[in-house]
Amino acid sequence: MTGAPPCWRNNVSESQLDRTLGFTEAMTLGGGTMIGAGIFILPAIAAESAGPASSISFGIAGFVALLAALSLAELATGMPISGGSYHYVNRGLGSFFGSIVGWGMWTGLMFASAFYMVGFGQYIVESVPFLDGRALIVLIGLLGLGLIVGVNYYGTEESSGAQNIMIGTEFVIVLIYTGVGLFFIETANLIDFAPTGPSGIVATTGIVFVTFLGFEIIATVAGEIKEPGKLIPLTMVLSVVGVTILYMIIMIVSTGIIPYQELGGSLVPVADVAVVFAGSIGVVAIVFAAVIAAISSSNSSILAASRVLFAMGRDNLMSDWLNETHDRFHTPHRAVVATGAVTAGLIGIGLEVEAIVALLAEVASFSFLVTYALVHVALITFRRADPPEYDPDFEIPEILYPIVPVLGVLASAFVITQMAQIVQFVGVGIIGLGGVWYLVYARTNAVEEGLLRDALPGRDPTYTVLVPIVNPKTQQGLLELAAANASANAGNGSAEIIALNVLQVADDTQQNVEVDRLDHQRELLEASRSIAEKIDVSLQTRAVLGQDVSKTILEVLESEEADHALLGWRGSFGQGEYAFGPNLDALLTDAPVDVTLAKFREQPINDVVALIGDGPNASTAVRRAAEFATLSGENTRPTLINVQLVNGEKSRGSTDPSNTSVERGEEVIEGVARQAGLNPTEYDTSVLVGETVESAVTSATNQRDLICLGLSDRSDLLRDRSGSIAEQIHDQTLCNVAIAKSGRRNSEDNHNPGE
Amino acid sequence: MSSESTNENILAHVLLPVANEDDALATARALEPYAPAQVTTLHVVEKGEGVPDKTPVEQSEKMAEESYAAIRSVFPDADDQTAYGRDIAGKIFEAADEVNASAIVYRSRGGNRLMQFLSGDISVKLVTKADRPVIALPHEEET
Repeated sequence: MTGAPPCWRNNVSESQLDRTLGFTEAMTLGGGTMIGAGIFILPAIAAESAGPASSISFGIAGFVALLAALSLAELATGMPISGGSYHYVNRGLGSFFGSIVGWGMWTGLMFASAFYMVGFGQYIVESVPFLDGRALIVLIGLLGLGLIVGVNYYGTEESSGAQNIMIGTEFVIVLIYTGVGLFFIETANLIDFAPTGPSGIVATTGIVFVTFLGFEIIATVAGEIKEPGKLIPLTMVLSVVGVTILYMIIMIVSTGIIPYQELGGSLVPVADVAVVFAGSIGVVAIVFAAVIAAISSSNSSILAASRVLFAMGRDNLMSDWLNETHDRFHTPHRAVVATGAVTAGLIGIGLEVEAIVALLAEVASFSFLVTYALVHVALITFRRADPPEYDPDFEIPEILYPIVPVLGVLASAFVITQMAQIVQFVGVGIIGLGGVWYLVYARTNAVEEGLLRDALPGRDPTYTVLVPIVNPKTQQGLLELAAANASANAGNGSAEIIALNVLQVADDTQQNVEVDRLDHQRELLEASRSIAEKIDVSLQTRAVLGQDVSKTILEVLESEEADHALLGWRGSFGQGEYAFGPNLDALLTDAPVDVTLAKFREQPINDVVALIGDGPNASTAVRRAAEFATLSGENTRPTLINVQLVNGEKSRGSTDPSNTSVERGEEVIEGVARQAGLNPTEYDTSVLVGETVESAVTSATNQRDLICLGLSDRSDLLRDRSGSIAEQIHDQTLCNVAIAKSGRRNSEDNHNPGE
Repeated sequence: MSSESTNENILAHVLLPVANEDDALATARALEPYAPAQVTTLHVVEKGEGVPDKTPVEQSEKMAEESYAAIRSVFPDADDQTAYGRDIAGKIFEAADEVNASAIVYRSRGGNRLMQFLSGDISVKLVTKADRPVIALPHEEET
């Protein structure tokens, strides 16, 4: 891909167009999938293993799901793009866990889909006279799957109206079944409430958890939901709570009407219960609902599977080949076929294994319990590391915060330990597959490191700014900028500024430095201490001897675990092979942290602007501008400037070039600001339309005090810089200039799915 | 680019609907000899109202960006526009209106009858329902 603009621009400008799922659609999707085939098949399996008390199993499973839904909702509103749990775990915990969750979700969705389709076969075979036999169930399940795969391959769009009506009808049938059934409960059937005791109840939880995959589907299509900040948490929580209550009542009704021993042997439990109080009409209605449920749930699963695969491909964890779209139908046809083929194989196992339904359900549950445990960990990681781009609209309330994820991990782990051994065996195998995938395939690609290191308590949570000091005239300015930067990034932890002076010596072994040079160093650092006292920041000083200034600074950056290096710069662009000078070039190239170069002219800093181009460091420059703006008062906002070029020839044909240019510029600004974690209320915008960047900027920045620029590109360092924008701006304006570079290129790239 | 471009010129501002990167490149190359004055590339992301799509939207958007880049490799000054909807021909007309295009330029993607039927023959709709000139580019055999 050459020169494609990063995708955020698109996401920003068209965010309303590509989001077409409203409240009803999200509920239909999430709730529909959850009510899905689970309601029609699970009552038998649940009754068999826990009796009427399986109602409690559903309650526990629902609670575990609710915890996961809360964590997931916060993460989903922080990063509302495709991929669901996989994406959050990959971003938060790195690609190893990302691989595990990606594979786990994919296989989990395939197991769930096979589970729905076997149920589909059961309902058709059992209720149509003259049809019988396991082979037929498998065959019909495969036919149903074939239909769904075909639809997803060909890419026909269902109309939302038809979909809502179908799911609505299914839901009404379930509600009537539940409501009417309540009056037919024979309490005698409920006396033996918990025949298998507490352990049976918990074991059953593991099976029925498969029900609650539906809210995950909401997260996997988070990028398409309108008002994600509001609707994602609302629909997730509402659907989980509603479905849990519904299932609990259904278990009481079902086991209350037909004794659990009898119900447990049925392949079509809900139809068998319905026939008791609603006769054959009841059976027809239930079979109709079960068929719709199975198809729609399975469809959602295949849909979610291709989104997980796409998201993995985006992060280099899955082959792009698998994600290629069909030349005509524009569907990810290979992903759909791969998912369908494995699902078909799983359905086929039903020929050999009688208890296939329970097994499929339980393995799917296992995968998603592991996934959610890791989602909880990812949430804690995001909260602790607090990356600037993470700004969720929905946050778990303060009083629930550490409790929800911690309890979520424990509950998931507990349910997993109570599962059947064969399931644990298969489940661990799937996790192993993800791990092996990471080692064999993913590790060789560029992968996500995750934020785990930033979040671990042992690892210095202090935000450290390193300020190498050479020139007594500029050190006050540097320390002021460092103070603004440090206090903005301290977050909940503390911040620290380290002033460093490197005394260059000829040779390590011969450390006889002239006394007056040592004195100079001491004076310099003493001066910085008194400045720090004046502006009230905590400062440490380091006096270091070294042969190579840039190498020494890099060593100190590492040993102090610094997060940012802020350096003075004479303001001249270097001659010959260097862009900024030998030391600065080396730092900009090799420092693993943010680096800012500041050139001071003599003004106090009141008015800060950031110039937004399309370089990779634009968002870092914006962040610095916002921090430095606080120097003149807490709520001072930076002005973000974007230049739109007017091509003389091009403008002739279009009607009003300046208006569209301004709009486009504002979109660019908004996109970069969002990437930098700024709300629209935290900055002013200014779009300059001009013939050249230099002419437009020079006039606009002359009244300003500080202009922040992003370093254009790493490779630019090596090029001849004469004529570069930064240089011209520097030469033609009289204000202070700061050039910023991000140390975290990977994470920024990851937010641009278009890259 | 042509200097005598006026609004009467049919190539003054062409709208170029493209499906994917390969299609975009082939279309751009086919259009290049005619030197249009201004080019706006359009990609319509197939999208149903109220149902999640078979293709992740981000994947479609990525496809759009790749197509725009392909067009820009031939026409560096080309604008681009993304539309979302199920009625592709309708969205093309809307976009043509919006940018006030002098003509819609496209290159039929061929294929047999069945494929054209399945993917909804947009060519027919384009030439029968457009309210402005539609230019079909020659379909050269690719090797």
